This record gives sequence, structure tokens and C-alpha cells, in this order.
Amino acid sequence: MSDTGPQTDFDPIEPNTGREFEPVDVFPATEEFDLRPGADSCFKCSACDTSCPVAEVDDDFPGPKFQGPEQWRLKRRQGHEIDDSVMSCSNCMRCDDACPSGVPLSQMHNTARGEYVSEQMSKTSVEYWRNRVLSNYRTSAFLASKVPRLANVAMNFGPARWLMEKTMGVTKEREFPEFASTTFREWWAERGGADESRRRARAHRERLGLDRDADKRVAYFHGCYSNYNTTEVGKAMVRVYERYGYEVVAPEQKCSGTPMFANGMLADARRHAEVNVSSMADLVEQGYDAIASCTSCSMALRQEYPELFDIEGIETVAANTFESVEYLRIHEDLKTDVREASVSGELAREFAYHAPCHARNQGLERQSVELFGDLEGAGIEDVGDSCSGISGTYGWKEEKYETSMEIGEEMFDHMAEADGDVGMTECPTCAMQMEHGTGYEIRHPLELLEEALVENPQSEP
Amino acid sequence: MGSPPHIAVIGGGSTGAGIARDLSMRGLDVTLVEQGNLTHGTTGRMHGLLHSGGRYAVSDRASARECIEENRVLREIATHCVEMTGGLFVKRPEDDEEYFQEKLRGCRACGIPAEVVSGAEARAMEPHLAKDVEKAISVPDGAVDPFRLVVANAASAIEHGARIETHSTVRDVLIEDGEVVGLEVEHASGAGKRVHGTEGGREEIRADYVVNATGAWAGRIGEMAGVDIEVRPSKGVMTIMNVRQVDTVINRCRPKGDADIVVPHETTAILGTTDEEVEDPEEYPEEGWEVDLMIETLSELVPMLEDARTIRSFWGVRPLYEPPEVGSTDPTDITRDYFLLDHAERDGLEGMTSIVGGKFTTYRMMGEEISDHVCAQFGIDADCHTADVPLPGSEDFTVLRDYMDEFGLRSPIGRRSVERLGSRADEVLTTSDPNPTVCTCEGVTRAEIRDAIEGSGSDLNAVRIRTRASMGNCQGGFCCHRMAGELHGEYDEDVARQAWDELLQERWKGQRHALWGEQLSQAALNYALHATTQNRDRDPADGDPVDFTAFDGGARSSEPSGTAGVATDGGGQDGD
Repeated sequence: MSDTGPQTDFDPIEPNTGREFEPVDVFPATEEFDLRPGADSCFKCSACDTSCPVAEVDDDFPGPKFQGPEQWRLKRRQGHEIDDSVMSCSNCMRCDDACPSGVPLSQMHNTARGEYVSEQMSKTSVEYWRNRVLSNYRTSAFLASKVPRLANVAMNFGPARWLMEKTMGVTKEREFPEFASTTFREWWAERGGADESRRRARAHRERLGLDRDADKRVAYFHGCYSNYNTTEVGKAMVRVYERYGYEVVAPEQKCSGTPMFANGMLADARRHAEVNVSSMADLVEQGYDAIASCTSCSMALRQEYPELFDIEGIETVAANTFESVEYLRIHEDLKTDVREASVSGELAREFAYHAPCHARNQGLERQSVELFGDLEGAGIEDVGDSCSGISGTYGWKEEKYETSMEIGEEMFDHMAEADGDVGMTECPTCAMQMEHGTGYEIRHPLELLEEALVENPQSEP
Repeated sequence: MGSPPHIAVIGGGSTGAGIARDLSMRGLDVTLVEQGNLTHGTTGRMHGLLHSGGRYAVSDRASARECIEENRVLREIATHCVEMTGGLFVKRPEDDEEYFQEKLRGCRACGIPAEVVSGAEARAMEPHLAKDVEKAISVPDGAVDPFRLVVANAASAIEHGARIETHSTVRDVLIEDGEVVGLEVEHASGAGKRVHGTEGGREEIRADYVVNATGAWAGRIGEMAGVDIEVRPSKGVMTIMNVRQVDTVINRCRPKGDADIVVPHETTAILGTTDEEVEDPEEYPEEGWEVDLMIETLSELVPMLEDARTIRSFWGVRPLYEPPEVGSTDPTDITRDYFLLDHAERDGLEGMTSIVGGKFTTYRMMGEEISDHVCAQFGIDADCHTADVPLPGSEDFTVLRDYMDEFGLRSPIGRRSVERLGSRADEVLTTSDPNPTVCTCEGVTRAEIRDAIEGSGSDLNAVRIRTRASMGNCQGGFCCHRMAGELHGEYDEDVARQAWDELLQERWKGQRHALWGEQLSQAALNYALHATTQNRDRDPADGDPVDFTAFDGGARSSEPSGTAGVATDGGGQDGD
């Protein structure tokens, strides 16, 4: 077992932003990124197009090569419109991963989409407001969490949903996620916050034979979903990290911006990013690492933030952000611990695991399978490399619902084929899609880790 | 007066096409002959700068005044060929302040709108400019597509009854009784629109007057006519960048020098240039260091050029001329002015005039002057209208519409197509057939390709200059075969194959000078693609036409399809 604490010389995976291309340095004062030079890396090979889940099912979608390098190269600084097809991109970012040459595809899509929404989309259209409401999930969730029981009933009330589809274009096919009666942050505050976490971490350090003041500190970016909906994921994160002697803090934070990027709401995203970067940057300065349990949140902090915004401290935050299981795999001997552990009870199941596209882009698509393959009492099977199809808010749009389900088809089939009847994934919206398509209950890897490694988790206050 | 005099114009560059348009608009009967396709010579090998005159404002004010005058004319009559980018003369710390002031005074004296902007202002306009650029003079420079401009001039001439023959080389100048009476021309293929593989033969074209507008090649025609024309061809290199690093013309504000201009041109930026006298306008060395010099020197103005992708380089020869008695030794000292050499006055040979020197921006003015001269020979008093009547494609180009909806095209493709086609957009793009994008780099659709084939025959290089298809970052790697495919129907397989080979050769020619970094990877991918899908690494299938009927129709759809035969890419419904 490691007793060295966080290794600060670790070099995290570089985001795929192109070889020598740093638009941020070119326009220090503005947010008007000129991404035309990014087209220099494109050889037209079409690897991006063949990896695009939307292009695979939608013949009218021209694909990432057109959306990215071709459209940007054809653009002139002024007076050139963005094609509206950019709104059909689901922002799964698979094209980034597929490109052999470092074309900044998702950055091109995100920037073009932002330009399209701010310059060309009518601000009075239903589509604009629907997208704005969907992408500001945090606001809706915040309101709903004030009256969780009422919200849970009202949001899935048939006539209300029919009305929502007709007036706002939010599909009535899906069930809204359930809101927790106590949010993660309420639980965290009640539990004693950072002080209590330090106390527990120290107790565990003693148990582990570590220095009582070991430099093991992390800032948890729980995101909206772990806070308002699946609070058990957030709690599991805290308990697993404390079990390894980490002090956890839960700094002030807003939405990561992922749904806003996907909807071209860059001004909203920036407002949230400023809060997140400012609170994370301070902690990173003090030696904390930023940990996210949602792979889209970690993706946003690591790649999209520095690609899209120029906020002080953004590069430092990006370089020190990790996904929750990834971080423990780097710094602890998680593999041995899991191999020596066993589970029984509710989570002693066979899991059908789906790797989210955004996990894939961070190189994390195998970690859960590698880890839990050795766990006694549970089994895990990878359901393949297809996209779930929901891509956050995408599958919630009435006009995208069919496409979303068509993309998800392959994953549903593979889940049905797999031994397990419980799903597992890191991404909250992939989880919605998996549940919607199969009826399975879906769990997060942290929950299983907690079950395997933490004694008496339920005895928590 | 009986039938109008017949004038033979030699040279299908900007000057020749401009003369042909002017004379035919004045009612004369015109035949233009060109040894390659239109713009084959110097016109197709320039940086595409529409001069404001700023570049000549210190050294040659007469030329500067002509430039600004013609700049204004072309903005009116050739809207679909011109992009008013504006231009900057930028001063770096090491550049001479006195020269900067002289440039400013010169511009003002010549009536060129000029304004001084600070370094910060210049960088606000062009963010990629070097941080240490001190200040700049802003002038109305522009970018002009020489191909489109010449094609439009030729089209206008044809509308007025002119005959335009490309791939027709002059073999002799016919002289009878001390007077030029016509030309002997060898057609590379049949007269009229070019058809590959068609025997053209020789033709004697009788003319009442001959205009030699062959620029750097003027001496050769002179030789055939027994007169001495001392053109002093001077080569210059130009390097094409994959994307536009700047949207404004960037000039270096210093006295004559190599590598001092970046011109945004369509999707690309063109770096220029050098000035070195050569013996022969066709045979001269093209050297790597010239390209390196462009990139290195211009990186002082736009640092990102250093690592940016270059897609090709090309050399052009300026048709410089000075009266032999001047005797300049350095080609940069030779005037950019043009000269009208009436061989009757000069050499005692009636019936022919040569026009030499000059520059692209003033092609129309040159055409006007020589047309006046020709008309004077026949006592014709006809006004010149080339400055007032818009070129085909530039008529009534005011209404901006929703092109995407109208033509069913994706936004940037529709926009680019309309920018290229101007007022012809409706006529060309309105089609009931499927209209896929053939060249995805430049956004050229099938309808535009077909229109170009209609205009230029089976010559795909002529289609290329009309549409820009194959001129983007893959340099035709993904579209040359599609373009050749569009010849199907009208033309036979072997005609298409020959045109396709020629296009690939031409695309390769310029890429040879850009084979490092990204473009080398591109060339390697193109090679692999062409070798594995088009058999281009083996014996070409030309020679005997392929008997396509000998191939079977493939697996029947009724047969059970094994998993091995199932497409794994989600199908190929896109078709492109």
C-alpha cells in the first residue's frame, strides 16, 4: 500500500487540443476564437465521421469533418453563417478521440455552436428557451430539491408532460430523474463538512499507519446530479476517499457547463465556469487535487474549460483534475485492495457496464472492468464501445428522441445479452438512457467500491 | 463600313481576355488564341492582389494612380471576383520611419485613401500580426481571383461574338507584303471546346490585325514575325498556406524587397514573392530556398506562419519590359508600367501591335488603350464600355438571400458557391437533381462542376480554375476522381481518364514544393488512397478502353448475406 501521498510529479493525460495550436494565446483579450488554423491538421481521412454516432443513424447529419475542419476552413472572419446542423451534434466528443492528427474537433463544434446560438438562433424561439432550460439543469434541480416529493410527482405527471412536449419540445417518453429528499450538500453540512472529513481521514491514516498530517487532500466536484439526485454516489466518494486517508472538501461550485456547451449556451457556461475555476484554483494552489465522480464534469474541467475560456487559473485546474476512480488507481493500490475484498448483499450482482463517451476521451473506458473483474461476489461485463445516445440533454429533446434511441439500440442489445441485470456507468445521463432502454437499475462504480472497501458505511450520521 | 475587321488576339491571360472583351463590345470581330487554358501563363501565377496603388506610391506614382483608379472600377464591374479585404503597410521596429512617412505622403498624393493605425489597432484588425509591429498604414487593397476574372472576361467576349480558342498554340505569324495577315495555329484538340484525345490539326486564322498580348512570351511571337521584343521575364515565387492567417492584405512597409506581402485568397493565404530575372519564361529553376525565404521572412510579420501548413508553391514570370536604352540591371528597378509597341512604327511591320509590361490590376486599362489603338487603325470611332458594364456574374449582385434554403445547400457551401458564381448562382445551382458536394475542401457542388464542364469541355484543369474544386487542403486527393466522374455521359471513358491524369499531374506539380509536415502526411494519404482504390501504383488502365460489361453485377441481393459481407460502417447511403 502506498504511503507516499499524492505524487505531484504525475503528468496527467494531455487533452487532445492539437499539436502546436493554442488559440487561447492568440486572442488573450477576447473570446472570439479563430479556429481556422486548426484545419491545418486535417487530412480529410474521415476517421471522425466513421466514429460519429449521430452520423451513423442520421443521414442528414453531415458529420464532424464537415462541422469541424471543413466548416471552419470555409469560414471568413465576418459574415459567414454557421450551418444549423451543428445543433444535431450531441457533443459526445468521440471525434476528438478518433482523430489521428489532433484536429480540435469538439472545440470547433462547441465554438461554432456557441456562435450559432448567439448570432443566428432566435432568442424568442421555443427551441432556444427549451435548450436554455435543459442546459440549466442545476437551476431546475435547485428549485425541485426544495420540494423534492412534490417535484417527483409533478415532473412525471402525465398531462403535465404532454403539455411540456407540446409547448417546449421536451419528450414525454422519458421519466424525469428522482430528486433526493436531502441533497448531498445538506448531508455534507449536517455531517460536519470539511472538519469532520479531516477527523475521519486522520482516524483512517492512523489505522493505515500513515502520518497523521499526510498531504492527502482533495476537492470534490460533485456536480449537480450527485448533489440533487444520486446523492449516494457523492456519499460513496467521500467515504471511499476518507477510507484511504484523504481529507475531502466540497467547495462552492456550479454546473460544470457540459449541458451548456452541448446547447451552445457559452455565456451561461462561462458564468458557471468562473465560479468553479475560482474556487478550485484556490484549493489547487494549496495542494488539493480536484476530483469529479461524473466523467462529463471531469472532461469539462480538463478539456473544455481551457479550450473555450480564458479564465485565470484555468490551466492549473485543468492539469490537476481527475476522475474519482482514476485518481485512486494512480495513487493507491486499488487493484490489490479490490482483489482482496468481497461483496455480499445488495451489490453482489452481475453488472452490465457501459463506458460513457466522455470517459473514453479521458482514457478511462476500461478502469471499472479492470478493477471489478477481480472482485469476489460481483461480476462485470463491458457492453461494448457504442454510445448510449442520450448525450446529456440531447435525448431529452422531442425532435432528437428517436435518434437518441436509435443510437442507443446497440447498447440496449448488448446489455440484454450480458449476464447481469444491473447496469453500471460513471455518467448520470448514460445511466438514464440505460435505465430507460432496459429497465435495469443503474449503479456508479463508486458505490461498488464503497461496498467492497468501506466497513459499515451505513453507520454514518 | 462593311463587315467589321477581324482581330486576332494572342494570349488568354488577363490582358488578352480584357482586349477581346473590349474589342468585341465595340463591335469588332475577335478571335483569341491561347496555348494552354485561360490564365495558363502569368495571370494564373500571381498572388491575387487587387492593388490599391500603395505598393507603388513611393517608387512609381503614375502606376499608383492607375491602380487606385482601376481598383475602383473592378470593385464595380467584377464584384464576384473581388473581395475588399483592405490592406495594411506594417512597420516593424527595424523598418525606416522616413520611408513610412514617404509612403503615407505618396498614397495621399496619388489619391489613395490612407490612414495611419497604431500597432494595437492593427492587431485588433489582424490578431496574428507580430506583437512588435509598431504601426501601419491602412489602404484599400483587395483580393481578386484572377481565374474567375479572366473567365468572366472571356465569357463576356463570347457573348459579344468573339471566338476563344484554348490549347491552341501559334506556330507562325503569317506575313504577306510586309504586313501581318494572320496566324497559323495548332489546336491540341478539336476547335471549340476542348475534347481530350481529339485530333485538332492546324488552322490558318486570317486577320485584319494581330494583337500580341502574350506577356513574357511576347519575344517568341516577335521572333515568328521577325521583330525583336526584349521582354525581361522575372520570376517570383508564391507559397499558398492552407488557411487564412490574415483577412487583410499585409504588406511590409519598406523599400523593395523579397517576401513582403501576404494576400488572403479565398480559403487560403498567399505569401509573395521574389523578383529574379530569368532567360526563358518556361524553363527556370524552382528552388526550395525560395519557399523557405518566403515563410521565414514573412513570419516576422505574422509569426504563426512559421509552423502553419503550406499546401503548395508556384512560380510566375512577370512580363517586365523597358525600352532597351534604359538598361536596368536589377529587375526590381524595371518599371511596372506597360508599353504598347506598334510594330509598324517601330519595325516597319504593318498589322501587328504587342503589349508588354504592366500589371494585373490595370489589365482593363491596358485593354482599353490597345483597343483604342486598334480601332484607330480602321478609323472606327467606338466608345469603350468595359469600365461601366459589369462582367457576367457581377450583374445585379445585390440581393442576399437565404441560399441554403433556396438551393438546399449547407450554409458555408451555399455561401461560398454564391460568392464564386455571383449573379449566375440561380442559373447554375438551381437543379432538380441531387446536388452533392464534390470538393469538400472548397465547398463545390456537382451543379457547379457540371456548369464548368459545359463551359470548358473535358479539360478538368479548366474546371478547376472556374470552380476551385481540388484547390483545398487535400489538393484533389479526395475529389479528382469525382470530378472525372462528372465527365461521364458527355465524354468517353478514355477522355475522362486522360483529363483525370492531367488534373492529378497539375495538382502534384505544386505540392512537390510543400512536402514536409502536414502536407507530406496528406500526400502520403493521397498516395495510399489512389494506389489502393484507383490502381495508381500499377499499370494505368489506359490504352484500350476497359470493357465494363465484362464485370459481373456483384452478389445478388437475394443471396443470403454472410456476416463478412455486411457493411460495418453503418452503410454508405451518403454516396459521397
